[in-house]
Amino acid sequence: MKSKFMLLAGILMLTAAAIAADPPKSSNSTADPATISTTTASAERTSEAENIRAEGEKRFRANCSRCHAAPHKFPPRMMATIVRHMRVRATITDADMRYILAYMTQ
Amino acid sequence: MKYSWFESEVCSKRHTVFFALISLLFLASSLVAQTSNDERPIPILTGNAGYFTNVDRGQTELAPEITPVLLVPMGDHWLVEARAAFEGEFERENGNGPYKGVVGKDIDYLQIDYIVNPYVTVTAGRFLTPFGIYNERLYPIWIRELHEVPLIFPLGTGSSDGAMLRGGFTINPKANLNYAAYFSTNSSVNKFESDRLAGGRVGFFFPGPRIEVGGSFQKELQEDRTNAFGFHFAWQPMRVPLNLRSEYARSHDGSGYWVEGAYRFNQVSFWRPAMRRTEFVARMQQFFLGEETDSSELSEYGLPHGNVRQPDFGLNFYVRDGLKASASYGRWLGTRNWNVWTMGIAYRFALPLGPTGAR
Repeated sequence: MKSKFMLLAGILMLTAAAIAADPPKSSNSTADPATISTTTASAERTSEAENIRAEGEKRFRANCSRCHAAPHKFPPRMMATIVRHMRVRATITDADMRYILAYMTQ
Repeated sequence: MKYSWFESEVCSKRHTVFFALISLLFLASSLVAQTSNDERPIPILTGNAGYFTNVDRGQTELAPEITPVLLVPMGDHWLVEARAAFEGEFERENGNGPYKGVVGKDIDYLQIDYIVNPYVTVTAGRFLTPFGIYNERLYPIWIRELHEVPLIFPLGTGSSDGAMLRGGFTINPKANLNYAAYFSTNSSVNKFESDRLAGGRVGFFFPGPRIEVGGSFQKELQEDRTNAFGFHFAWQPMRVPLNLRSEYARSHDGSGYWVEGAYRFNQVSFWRPAMRRTEFVARMQQFFLGEETDSSELSEYGLPHGNVRQPDFGLNFYVRDGLKASASYGRWLGTRNWNVWTMGIAYRFALPLGPTGAR
Protein backbone atom coordinates (compact mmCIF):
# COMPACT_ATOMS: atom_id res chain seq x y z
CA MET A 1 0.00 0.00 0.00
CA LYS A 2 2.77 2.37 1.07
CA SER A 3 4.72 1.73 -2.12
CA LYS A 4 1.68 2.76 -4.15
CA PHE A 5 1.57 6.09 -2.35
CA MET A 6 5.28 6.55 -2.93
CA LEU A 7 4.75 5.81 -6.61
CA LEU A 8 1.88 8.32 -6.80
CA ALA A 9 3.97 10.99 -5.11
CA GLY A 10 6.83 10.22 -7.47
CA ILE A 11 4.59 10.61 -10.52
CA LEU A 12 3.33 13.96 -9.19
CA MET A 13 6.90 15.17 -8.65
CA LEU A 14 7.94 14.04 -12.11
CA THR A 15 4.98 15.90 -13.60
CA ALA A 16 5.97 19.03 -11.71
CA ALA A 17 9.57 18.63 -12.89
CA ALA A 18 8.43 18.21 -16.50
CA ILE A 19 6.41 21.41 -16.31
CA ALA A 20 9.28 23.24 -14.62
CA ALA A 21 11.64 22.10 -17.36
CA ASP A 22 9.47 23.79 -20.00
CA PRO A 23 11.27 27.14 -20.26
CA PRO A 24 9.32 30.40 -20.60
CA LYS A 25 9.54 31.98 -24.00
CA SER A 26 11.39 35.22 -24.49
CA SER A 27 9.02 38.05 -25.31
CA ASN A 28 11.23 39.39 -28.09
CA SER A 29 12.44 36.20 -29.69
CA THR A 30 9.63 35.82 -32.20
CA ALA A 31 7.28 38.09 -34.04
CA ASP A 32 4.06 36.26 -33.25
CA PRO A 33 1.16 38.41 -32.05
CA ALA A 34 1.17 37.00 -28.54
CA THR A 35 4.66 38.24 -27.88
CA ILE A 36 4.33 41.49 -29.76
CA SER A 37 1.47 42.52 -27.49
CA THR A 38 3.90 42.90 -24.58
CA THR A 39 6.18 45.29 -26.36
CA THR A 40 3.42 47.35 -27.92
CA ALA A 41 1.83 47.97 -24.54
CA SER A 42 4.62 50.33 -23.60
CA ALA A 43 6.21 51.20 -26.94
CA GLU A 44 5.04 53.42 -29.74
CA ARG A 45 2.51 51.74 -31.96
CA THR A 46 4.12 50.53 -35.12
CA SER A 47 2.20 49.81 -38.27
CA GLU A 48 2.83 46.10 -37.75
CA ALA A 49 1.34 46.24 -34.27
CA GLU A 50 -1.59 48.19 -35.64
CA ASN A 51 -2.17 45.52 -38.27
CA ILE A 52 -2.09 42.83 -35.60
CA ARG A 53 -4.55 44.81 -33.49
CA ALA A 54 -6.90 45.22 -36.44
CA GLU A 55 -6.63 41.54 -37.30
CA GLY A 56 -7.18 40.65 -33.65
CA GLU A 57 -10.33 42.75 -33.50
CA LYS A 58 -11.60 41.15 -36.69
CA ARG A 59 -10.99 37.67 -35.32
CA PHE A 60 -12.53 38.61 -31.99
CA ARG A 61 -15.71 39.71 -33.75
CA ALA A 62 -15.75 36.60 -35.90
CA ASN A 63 -15.13 34.11 -33.07
CA CYS A 64 -16.07 35.52 -29.67
CA SER A 65 -19.02 37.70 -30.72
CA ARG A 66 -20.77 34.66 -32.13
CA CYS A 67 -21.72 33.75 -28.56
CA HIS A 68 -21.42 36.81 -26.35
CA ALA A 69 -21.03 40.57 -26.25
CA ALA A 70 -17.54 41.99 -26.07
CA PRO A 71 -16.26 42.12 -22.48
CA HIS A 72 -14.04 44.92 -21.27
CA LYS A 73 -10.37 44.16 -21.44
CA PHE A 74 -8.98 42.30 -18.47
CA PRO A 75 -5.33 42.54 -17.31
CA PRO A 76 -2.95 40.56 -19.56
CA ARG A 77 -2.41 37.57 -17.29
CA MET A 78 -6.14 37.16 -16.67
CA MET A 79 -6.79 37.50 -20.37
CA ALA A 80 -4.23 34.79 -21.10
CA THR A 81 -6.18 32.38 -18.88
CA ILE A 82 -9.55 33.37 -20.35
CA VAL A 83 -8.31 32.96 -23.91
CA ARG A 84 -6.88 29.52 -23.11
CA HIS A 85 -10.20 28.54 -21.56
CA MET A 86 -12.08 29.75 -24.63
CA ARG A 87 -9.65 28.01 -26.94
CA VAL A 88 -10.69 24.72 -25.36
CA ARG A 89 -14.38 25.58 -24.82
CA ALA A 90 -15.08 27.16 -28.20
CA THR A 91 -12.41 25.28 -30.18
CA ILE A 92 -10.81 28.50 -31.36
CA THR A 93 -7.80 27.95 -33.59
CA ASP A 94 -4.28 28.55 -32.31
CA ALA A 95 -3.73 31.49 -34.70
CA ASP A 96 -7.07 33.10 -33.78
CA MET A 97 -6.24 32.72 -30.10
CA ARG A 98 -2.92 34.53 -30.50
CA TYR A 99 -4.42 37.43 -32.45
CA ILE A 100 -7.33 37.75 -30.03
CA LEU A 101 -4.96 37.74 -27.06
CA ALA A 102 -2.87 40.46 -28.71
CA TYR A 103 -5.99 42.55 -29.35
CA MET A 104 -7.47 42.05 -25.90
CA THR A 105 -4.26 42.94 -24.05
CA GLN A 106 -3.54 46.20 -25.87
CA MET B 1 4.28 -2.79 19.22
CA LYS B 2 1.83 -3.89 16.59
CA TYR B 3 -0.23 -1.41 14.65
CA SER B 4 -3.91 -2.10 14.26
CA TRP B 5 -5.50 -1.96 10.82
CA PHE B 6 -7.00 1.44 11.65
CA GLU B 7 -3.65 2.90 12.74
CA SER B 8 -1.90 1.67 9.64
CA GLU B 9 -4.64 3.25 7.48
CA VAL B 10 -4.20 6.57 9.30
CA CYS B 11 -0.44 6.38 8.79
CA SER B 12 -0.91 5.66 5.10
CA LYS B 13 -3.23 8.61 4.76
CA ARG B 14 -0.69 10.83 6.56
CA HIS B 15 1.97 9.68 4.13
CA THR B 16 -0.33 10.45 1.24
CA VAL B 17 -1.11 13.94 2.52
CA PHE B 18 2.56 14.58 3.22
CA PHE B 19 3.72 13.53 -0.23
CA ALA B 20 0.83 15.32 -1.89
CA LEU B 21 1.76 18.55 -0.09
CA ILE B 22 5.42 18.16 -1.06
CA SER B 23 4.37 17.55 -4.67
CA LEU B 24 2.06 20.53 -4.72
CA LEU B 25 4.76 22.79 -3.27
CA PHE B 26 7.17 21.51 -5.90
CA LEU B 27 4.57 22.06 -8.60
CA ALA B 28 3.74 25.54 -7.32
CA SER B 29 7.41 26.53 -7.21
CA SER B 30 7.86 25.24 -10.72
CA LEU B 31 4.94 27.36 -11.90
CA VAL B 32 6.19 30.45 -10.09
CA ALA B 33 9.50 29.92 -11.82
CA GLN B 34 7.69 30.22 -15.14
CA THR B 35 5.74 33.35 -14.33
CA SER B 36 8.44 35.88 -15.02
CA ASN B 37 6.66 37.00 -18.18
CA ASP B 38 3.75 39.44 -17.88
CA GLU B 39 1.64 37.31 -20.18
CA ARG B 40 1.75 34.11 -18.18
CA PRO B 41 -1.78 33.02 -17.32
CA ILE B 42 -2.85 33.02 -13.69
CA PRO B 43 -5.62 31.10 -11.92
CA ILE B 44 -8.91 32.98 -11.95
CA LEU B 45 -12.31 32.55 -10.39
CA THR B 46 -15.05 33.54 -12.79
CA GLY B 47 -18.65 32.60 -13.40
CA ASN B 48 -22.05 34.18 -13.14
CA ALA B 49 -24.76 34.99 -10.66
CA GLY B 50 -28.35 35.83 -11.40
CA TYR B 51 -31.81 36.22 -10.03
CA PHE B 52 -34.84 35.46 -12.16
CA THR B 53 -38.56 35.39 -11.63
CA ASN B 54 -40.36 32.93 -13.88
CA VAL B 55 -44.10 32.61 -14.36
CA ASP B 56 -45.03 29.31 -15.97
CA ARG B 57 -48.63 28.10 -16.23
CA GLY B 58 -49.63 30.86 -13.78
CA GLN B 59 -47.20 29.61 -11.14
CA THR B 60 -44.52 32.07 -10.00
CA GLU B 61 -41.06 30.70 -9.36
CA LEU B 62 -38.08 32.53 -7.88
CA ALA B 63 -34.84 31.26 -9.35
CA PRO B 64 -31.59 32.61 -7.92
CA GLU B 65 -28.41 30.97 -9.14
CA ILE B 66 -24.68 31.20 -8.85
CA THR B 67 -22.30 29.32 -11.07
CA PRO B 68 -18.63 29.67 -10.12
CA VAL B 69 -15.96 28.63 -12.62
CA LEU B 70 -12.40 27.96 -11.51
CA LEU B 71 -9.66 28.09 -14.12
CA VAL B 72 -6.15 26.98 -13.17
CA PRO B 73 -3.60 27.11 -15.99
CA MET B 74 -0.37 25.20 -15.52
CA GLY B 75 2.66 25.78 -17.68
CA ASP B 76 2.11 26.41 -21.37
CA HIS B 77 -0.13 23.46 -22.15
CA TRP B 78 -2.31 22.56 -19.18
CA LEU B 79 -5.59 23.90 -17.88
CA VAL B 80 -7.76 22.64 -15.06
CA GLU B 81 -11.37 23.82 -15.35
CA ALA B 82 -14.25 23.33 -12.96
CA ARG B 83 -17.80 24.67 -12.90
CA ALA B 84 -20.33 24.14 -10.16
CA ALA B 85 -23.97 25.20 -10.33
CA PHE B 86 -26.18 26.22 -7.44
CA GLU B 87 -29.66 26.79 -8.79
CA GLY B 88 -32.60 27.59 -6.55
CA GLU B 89 -36.24 26.93 -7.40
CA PHE B 90 -38.68 28.44 -4.94
CA GLU B 91 -42.45 28.36 -5.31
CA ARG B 92 -45.50 28.97 -3.16
CA GLU B 93 -47.44 25.85 -2.26
CA ASN B 94 -50.92 26.06 -3.80
CA GLY B 95 -50.21 29.63 -4.88
CA ASN B 96 -50.02 31.20 -1.44
CA GLY B 97 -47.92 31.22 1.71
CA PRO B 98 -44.15 31.48 1.85
CA TYR B 99 -41.90 30.48 -1.02
CA LYS B 100 -40.33 27.07 -0.50
CA GLY B 101 -38.05 24.98 -2.60
CA VAL B 102 -34.68 23.44 -3.08
CA VAL B 103 -31.26 24.52 -4.25
CA GLY B 104 -29.88 22.13 -6.83
CA LYS B 105 -26.12 21.57 -6.55
CA ASP B 106 -24.29 20.16 -9.51
CA ILE B 107 -20.79 19.82 -10.84
CA ASP B 108 -21.10 20.65 -14.52
CA TYR B 109 -17.48 19.98 -15.34
CA LEU B 110 -14.24 19.18 -13.58
CA GLN B 111 -11.68 18.51 -16.26
CA ILE B 112 -8.04 18.75 -17.11
CA ASP B 113 -7.03 19.85 -20.60
CA TYR B 114 -3.70 19.25 -22.24
CA ILE B 115 -3.08 21.29 -25.38
CA VAL B 116 -0.94 18.87 -27.34
CA ASN B 117 -0.44 21.02 -30.43
CA PRO B 118 -2.46 23.52 -32.51
CA TYR B 119 -4.70 20.69 -33.71
CA VAL B 120 -5.39 18.53 -30.68
CA THR B 121 -6.40 19.11 -27.07
CA VAL B 122 -6.88 16.11 -24.78
CA THR B 123 -9.48 16.45 -22.06
CA ALA B 124 -10.08 14.04 -19.20
CA GLY B 125 -12.50 14.10 -16.28
CA ARG B 126 -16.05 15.35 -16.20
CA PHE B 127 -16.91 17.57 -19.16
CA LEU B 128 -19.91 19.09 -20.90
CA THR B 129 -21.11 16.66 -23.54
CA PRO B 130 -20.27 18.22 -26.92
CA PHE B 131 -23.60 17.81 -28.68
CA GLY B 132 -24.76 20.86 -30.61
CA ILE B 133 -23.62 24.32 -29.55
CA TYR B 134 -25.98 25.32 -26.73
CA ASN B 135 -24.59 23.14 -23.95
CA GLU B 136 -20.97 24.15 -24.27
CA ARG B 137 -21.19 27.70 -25.54
CA LEU B 138 -24.54 29.33 -24.89
CA TYR B 139 -25.75 27.90 -21.57
CA PRO B 140 -24.35 30.44 -19.02
CA ILE B 141 -27.08 32.91 -18.08
CA TRP B 142 -24.95 35.95 -18.95
CA ILE B 143 -24.51 34.58 -22.48
CA ARG B 144 -27.89 33.08 -23.38
CA GLU B 145 -30.21 35.49 -25.16
CA LEU B 146 -33.39 34.06 -23.60
CA HIS B 147 -33.44 32.78 -20.05
CA GLU B 148 -35.50 29.69 -20.91
CA VAL B 149 -33.35 26.95 -22.42
CA PRO B 150 -34.66 25.42 -25.67
CA LEU B 151 -37.13 22.54 -25.39
CA ILE B 152 -34.70 20.15 -27.09
CA PHE B 153 -31.79 21.14 -24.85
CA PRO B 154 -31.82 17.87 -22.84
CA LEU B 155 -31.43 15.76 -26.00
CA GLY B 156 -27.87 14.48 -26.15
CA THR B 157 -26.44 17.07 -23.73
CA GLY B 158 -25.55 17.16 -20.03
CA SER B 159 -22.21 16.11 -18.57
CA SER B 160 -20.04 13.09 -19.28
CA ASP B 161 -17.24 11.38 -17.36
CA GLY B 162 -14.44 10.17 -19.57
CA ALA B 163 -12.00 11.46 -22.12
CA MET B 164 -12.22 13.65 -25.17
CA LEU B 165 -10.11 14.83 -28.08
CA ARG B 166 -10.98 18.24 -29.51
CA GLY B 167 -9.55 21.10 -31.46
CA GLY B 168 -9.97 23.72 -34.12
CA PHE B 169 -7.71 24.63 -36.98
CA THR B 170 -7.63 26.49 -40.26
CA ILE B 171 -8.24 24.42 -43.39
CA ASN B 172 -7.69 27.37 -45.70
CA PRO B 173 -8.08 31.17 -45.33
CA LYS B 174 -11.82 30.83 -45.90
CA ALA B 175 -12.69 27.96 -43.58
CA ASN B 176 -11.90 26.60 -40.12
CA LEU B 177 -12.73 23.14 -38.89
CA ASN B 178 -13.52 22.29 -35.28
CA TYR B 179 -14.18 18.87 -33.82
CA ALA B 180 -14.72 16.94 -30.60
CA ALA B 181 -14.72 13.15 -30.13
CA TYR B 182 -15.39 11.60 -26.75
CA PHE B 183 -16.06 8.50 -24.73
CA SER B 184 -18.01 8.60 -21.50
CA THR B 185 -18.35 5.90 -18.88
CA ASN B 186 -21.41 4.95 -16.87
CA SER B 187 -21.35 6.49 -13.41
CA SER B 188 -23.85 6.68 -10.57
CA VAL B 189 -21.52 8.52 -8.19
CA ASN B 190 -23.32 11.41 -6.55
CA LYS B 191 -22.76 14.67 -8.55
CA PHE B 192 -20.79 12.73 -11.16
CA GLU B 193 -23.61 10.82 -12.81
CA SER B 194 -23.10 10.03 -16.48
CA ASP B 195 -24.10 7.55 -19.15
CA ARG B 196 -21.89 5.24 -21.17
CA LEU B 197 -21.63 7.06 -24.47
CA ALA B 198 -19.43 7.66 -27.45
CA GLY B 199 -19.88 10.50 -29.86
CA GLY B 200 -18.55 13.52 -31.59
CA ARG B 201 -19.22 16.83 -33.22
CA VAL B 202 -17.78 18.44 -36.32
CA GLY B 203 -18.23 22.06 -37.31
CA PHE B 204 -17.10 24.30 -40.13
CA PHE B 205 -16.71 28.02 -39.59
CA PHE B 206 -16.39 30.41 -42.51
CA PRO B 207 -14.85 33.65 -41.16
CA GLY B 208 -15.71 35.72 -44.25
CA PRO B 209 -19.50 35.50 -44.10
CA ARG B 210 -19.29 34.48 -40.40
CA ILE B 211 -21.30 31.32 -40.86
CA GLU B 212 -20.92 28.15 -38.82
CA VAL B 213 -22.49 24.81 -39.67
CA GLY B 214 -21.98 21.49 -38.02
CA GLY B 215 -23.33 18.17 -36.91
CA SER B 216 -23.25 15.96 -33.80
CA PHE B 217 -23.58 12.24 -33.28
CA GLN B 218 -23.96 10.18 -30.13
CA LYS B 219 -24.19 6.44 -29.52
CA GLU B 220 -25.51 5.17 -26.22
CA LEU B 221 -23.44 2.17 -25.10
CA GLN B 222 -25.88 0.91 -22.48
CA GLU B 223 -29.54 -0.05 -22.07
CA ASP B 224 -31.28 0.48 -25.44
CA ARG B 225 -28.04 1.40 -27.27
CA THR B 226 -29.84 4.17 -29.12
CA ASN B 227 -28.40 6.83 -31.39
CA ALA B 228 -28.84 10.59 -31.36
CA PHE B 229 -27.81 13.15 -33.91
CA GLY B 230 -28.14 16.85 -34.46
CA PHE B 231 -27.20 19.82 -36.62
CA HIS B 232 -26.37 23.41 -35.78
CA PHE B 233 -26.15 26.64 -37.71
CA ALA B 234 -25.04 30.13 -36.73
CA TRP B 235 -24.73 33.31 -38.78
CA GLN B 236 -23.66 36.83 -37.93
CA PRO B 237 -24.23 39.07 -40.94
CA MET B 238 -21.46 41.63 -41.45
CA ARG B 239 -23.65 44.68 -42.04
CA VAL B 240 -26.41 44.12 -39.50
CA PRO B 241 -25.99 43.63 -35.71
CA LEU B 242 -27.95 40.40 -35.89
CA ASN B 243 -27.10 37.02 -34.40
CA LEU B 244 -28.90 34.04 -35.89
CA ARG B 245 -28.60 30.57 -34.38
CA SER B 246 -30.38 27.31 -34.82
CA GLU B 247 -30.20 23.69 -33.74
CA TYR B 248 -31.93 20.47 -34.66
CA ALA B 249 -31.68 17.31 -32.53
CA ARG B 250 -33.15 13.84 -32.72
CA SER B 251 -32.96 10.94 -30.29
CA HIS B 252 -35.27 8.07 -29.28
CA ASP B 253 -36.88 10.43 -26.71
CA GLY B 254 -37.96 12.87 -29.37
CA SER B 255 -36.81 15.45 -31.84
CA GLY B 256 -37.13 19.14 -32.49
CA TYR B 257 -35.51 22.40 -33.43
CA TRP B 258 -35.09 25.98 -32.36
CA VAL B 259 -34.35 29.06 -34.44
CA GLU B 260 -33.32 32.25 -32.67
CA GLY B 261 -32.51 35.76 -33.83
CA ALA B 262 -31.07 38.53 -31.63
CA TYR B 263 -30.94 42.09 -32.96
CA ARG B 264 -28.89 44.76 -31.18
CA PHE B 265 -30.23 48.29 -31.78
CA ASN B 266 -26.76 49.68 -32.57
CA GLN B 267 -27.84 51.32 -35.80
CA VAL B 268 -30.96 53.05 -34.50
CA SER B 269 -30.56 56.82 -34.74
CA PHE B 270 -32.69 57.86 -31.75
CA TRP B 271 -32.01 57.35 -28.00
CA ARG B 272 -28.61 56.05 -28.99
CA PRO B 273 -27.08 55.67 -25.48
CA ALA B 274 -29.95 53.39 -24.43
CA MET B 275 -30.69 51.72 -27.74
CA ARG B 276 -27.14 50.52 -28.36
CA ARG B 277 -27.38 48.58 -25.10
CA THR B 278 -30.70 47.04 -26.00
CA GLU B 279 -31.30 43.77 -27.82
CA PHE B 280 -34.48 42.22 -29.12
CA VAL B 281 -34.69 38.44 -29.31
CA ALA B 282 -37.18 36.14 -31.00
CA ARG B 283 -37.16 32.36 -30.96
CA MET B 284 -39.36 29.69 -32.48
CA GLN B 285 -39.05 26.09 -31.37
CA GLN B 286 -40.84 22.77 -31.63
CA PHE B 287 -40.53 19.44 -29.88
CA PHE B 288 -41.91 16.16 -31.22
CA LEU B 289 -42.33 13.27 -28.82
CA GLY B 290 -40.54 10.02 -29.68
CA GLU B 291 -42.65 6.99 -30.58
CA GLU B 292 -41.36 4.65 -27.87
CA THR B 293 -40.68 7.16 -25.15
CA ASP B 294 -40.89 6.30 -21.47
CA SER B 295 -42.64 9.11 -19.54
CA SER B 296 -40.39 8.63 -16.49
CA GLU B 297 -37.40 9.21 -18.74
CA LEU B 298 -39.00 12.39 -20.09
CA SER B 299 -39.45 13.69 -16.54
CA GLU B 300 -35.90 12.72 -15.61
CA TYR B 301 -34.44 14.71 -18.49
CA GLY B 302 -36.91 17.61 -18.28
CA LEU B 303 -38.48 16.98 -21.69
CA PRO B 304 -42.11 17.82 -22.59
CA HIS B 305 -44.60 14.93 -22.38
CA GLY B 306 -46.16 15.72 -25.73
CA ASN B 307 -45.69 17.65 -28.94
CA VAL B 308 -45.09 21.32 -28.21
CA ARG B 309 -44.53 24.55 -30.11
CA GLN B 310 -43.27 27.65 -28.32
CA PRO B 311 -42.60 31.12 -29.72
CA ASP B 312 -40.59 33.39 -27.39
CA PHE B 313 -39.80 37.10 -27.49
CA GLY B 314 -37.39 38.90 -25.22
CA LEU B 315 -35.54 42.10 -24.47
CA ASN B 316 -32.03 42.33 -23.04
CA PHE B 317 -30.52 45.51 -21.67
CA TYR B 318 -26.76 45.48 -21.15
CA VAL B 319 -26.32 47.81 -18.17
CA ARG B 320 -22.55 47.53 -18.28
CA ASP B 321 -19.93 44.93 -19.03
CA GLY B 322 -21.08 41.63 -17.56
CA LEU B 323 -24.38 42.94 -16.17
CA LYS B 324 -27.57 42.27 -18.10
CA ALA B 325 -31.25 42.77 -17.37
CA SER B 326 -33.64 40.47 -19.26
CA ALA B 327 -37.34 39.97 -19.76
CA SER B 328 -39.15 37.57 -22.04
CA TYR B 329 -42.55 36.26 -22.97
CA GLY B 330 -43.35 32.91 -24.52
CA ARG B 331 -46.45 30.93 -25.35
CA TRP B 332 -46.47 27.17 -24.72
CA LEU B 333 -48.66 25.56 -27.38
CA GLY B 334 -49.27 21.90 -26.59
CA THR B 335 -52.30 19.88 -25.61
CA ARG B 336 -52.98 22.86 -23.37
CA ASN B 337 -51.71 26.40 -23.88
CA TRP B 338 -50.23 28.82 -21.37
CA ASN B 339 -47.92 31.82 -21.00
CA VAL B 340 -44.29 31.71 -19.93
CA TRP B 341 -42.81 34.92 -18.49
CA THR B 342 -39.28 35.50 -17.25
CA MET B 343 -37.62 38.58 -15.80
CA GLY B 344 -34.32 39.03 -14.02
CA ILE B 345 -30.69 40.03 -14.01
CA ALA B 346 -27.48 38.16 -14.75
CA TYR B 347 -23.98 39.16 -13.78
CA ARG B 348 -20.66 37.75 -14.91
CA PHE B 349 -17.70 38.09 -12.57
CA ALA B 350 -13.99 37.39 -12.95
CA LEU B 351 -11.52 37.57 -10.08
CA PRO B 352 -7.76 37.03 -10.38
CA LEU B 353 -6.16 34.60 -7.99
CA GLY B 354 -2.66 35.94 -8.50
CA PRO B 355 -0.73 39.00 -9.74
CA THR B 356 -2.41 40.26 -12.89
CA GLY B 357 0.53 41.96 -14.59
CA ALA B 358 0.74 45.47 -15.94
CA ARG B 359 -1.90 46.78 -18.28
